[in-house]
Amino acid sequence: MGIRPLLIVLLLLAVSCSGPKPHSYQKSKALMDTFITITVVSDSEATAGAAIEKAFVRLEQFGNMINFFSPDSELSMVNNNAGVAATHVSPETLEVIDKALYVAEKSGGAFDPTIGPIMQLWDFHKNTKPEDAEVKRRLPLVNYRNVRIDRKHSTVFLTRKGMLLDLGGIAKGYAADLAVETLGKQGIRSGIVAVAGDIKAFGYRPDGKPWNIGIKNPRQKGEKDEIIATIPLSDKAISTAGDYERFFIMNGQRYHHIMNPATGYPAYGTRSVSVVADKGVFADGFDNAIFVLGPEKGRKLIEQLNRDFPADAFIIYDNGSEYITTGINGLLKHEKEH
Amino acid sequence: MKKSIKGTTISDRLLLLFLITASISGIFLARDALPESGEVVIELDGQPAFTAALREDRVIRLQSSVGPVEVEIKNSRARIREAHCPNQLCVKQGWVSRGIIVCLPGKIVVFVGGRGKHKKKDLDAVTG
Amino acid sequence: MQLQDKQRVAVLSAYALVLHGFEAILPMPVPWLRAGLANIITLVALLLYDFKTAMAVTIIRVTLASMFTGTFLGPAFILSLGGGIASTVAVGLVHAAARNLFGPIGLSLIGSLFHNLAQLSLAGLLFVQRLEPILIISPFILLIGTLTGVVNGTITAVLIRQLKAEKADRAACNNEP
Repeated sequence: MGIRPLLIVLLLLAVSCSGPKPHSYQKSKALMDTFITITVVSDSEATAGAAIEKAFVRLEQFGNMINFFSPDSELSMVNNNAGVAATHVSPETLEVIDKALYVAEKSGGAFDPTIGPIMQLWDFHKNTKPEDAEVKRRLPLVNYRNVRIDRKHSTVFLTRKGMLLDLGGIAKGYAADLAVETLGKQGIRSGIVAVAGDIKAFGYRPDGKPWNIGIKNPRQKGEKDEIIATIPLSDKAISTAGDYERFFIMNGQRYHHIMNPATGYPAYGTRSVSVVADKGVFADGFDNAIFVLGPEKGRKLIEQLNRDFPADAFIIYDNGSEYITTGINGLLKHEKEH
Repeated sequence: MKKSIKGTTISDRLLLLFLITASISGIFLARDALPESGEVVIELDGQPAFTAALREDRVIRLQSSVGPVEVEIKNSRARIREAHCPNQLCVKQGWVSRGIIVCLPGKIVVFVGGRGKHKKKDLDAVTG
Repeated sequence: MQLQDKQRVAVLSAYALVLHGFEAILPMPVPWLRAGLANIITLVALLLYDFKTAMAVTIIRVTLASMFTGTFLGPAFILSLGGGIASTVAVGLVHAAARNLFGPIGLSLIGSLFHNLAQLSLAGLLFVQRLEPILIISPFILLIGTLTGVVNGTITAVLIRQLKAEKADRAACNNEP
């Protein structure tokens, strides 16, 4: 035995342990009036960066089309033509409105994209709540059945003047789907897109495990109890509707941003609903619907959804009790500091 | 014991082989332990003092036990630009794209490439 | 005998300091990377003479070197001292317990291993006070230490052979009438 076998062993070690290792690369950008973070798994930073940029571009385009507050957006054009004429929209806008109507129908109107007139009355920065009379006046304008979609001509028509489409409750989930689709076209097989709290995870992390998603604690008090539970996901979307995202408390009563389309006031009974579905657009739309329906009806809806297409939910009620559907019961892990 | 080239024994060679394989595999393990969330975490006296994104070029100025410390982030790399320690080893180390820069006298540790707040729980995203 | 011991220690310490100073001037890719050439002297002292001599040489070298560079009693001094003592003790024990098990290269590897282990532990406990960065950089440091250990051990072996040959010559000369 001499020094040569030793050198050969060393060389073999060096060679066998090398080779391109996939890493995850992450980029964030402020778009669609929110913060979007995209993580992809790729062999090279250049490929990852290029793919993420393309996704951001697509999201920016989409964001511009459905921006409720921008007078030039397609959505605003539809809203301005309410009761007047059908408006031509691009395929993505048509699709998200179409899906929104589907969620509305499926939930019996608990989610209603025509909630625009009511949303205008509430201001969560200035913490103002509307006058009862004003709410009553606008409530009749909230009715998803008065939206006419013409797929052939790609038009949308709001039949009553004063109707306003607000896609805030479903657009982010749809955006996550769009981003993942764009990334897929760039050859990315694994990644996670987080449009604020509306997340879609596809493929696996570089270490082969599913993506680990944290669910926020609705009654978080400090930094330590920010996360109430975690769930590993792959090829699934998750969205959460919560009464703690935008709210103010007046006279001991919490007024939050998830409106009940039937009353024009916030829906009560639930603190947060997290929905896991195959598509972000559905996760986003249905989490609001289940929230609005309240404990009993909300449970019925998710059970029905569970049968129709795989959709699961993690619900935290006002009294702190939880409801977890069977599909994710084994996956959900509660955090200890809670 | 048998002695051959340059007076090495079998035990010598075995020890050498063991040490080399152990440290090389240790290096690969350590590289995996450095998560890659693209963050820079500066710790002073064992406590996290500042977190910044690796993607944003900036200069961070903090107070350490040996005086002011400047950490610079540029082109997805980080370095200790200024530190008032006698040997300046941390400054001389230069740019690091992934790894750790340590200044012993100042008790300064700069983690490059890992340890965001969520990495403690190993979270990739948060919903809610 | 006492005087001869002291002279021996003084001369060896001087050599060790020279090596240490020479090494400090060498340009290195990474600043804190040092080949530990002075450890050669410690090992030679142990193999040619005894443990006491080796330990004395190590402590004197570390102390004087830190005084010369103005880092006496600073963190660098504590690390050097800790590393030096740990490695000398380790090598001394192994050599005493199993004299022929390891040659100079093996002993040098052991010395370098314990030197680095001691330094990493001290740095982690006293200065950084966090386990994670220490664990992460230790494999790299141990690898470097292994390579320098081989180099130092080889040089030691050559030196020993040379010095033993000279000793034999001198003894032979002295014995000849």
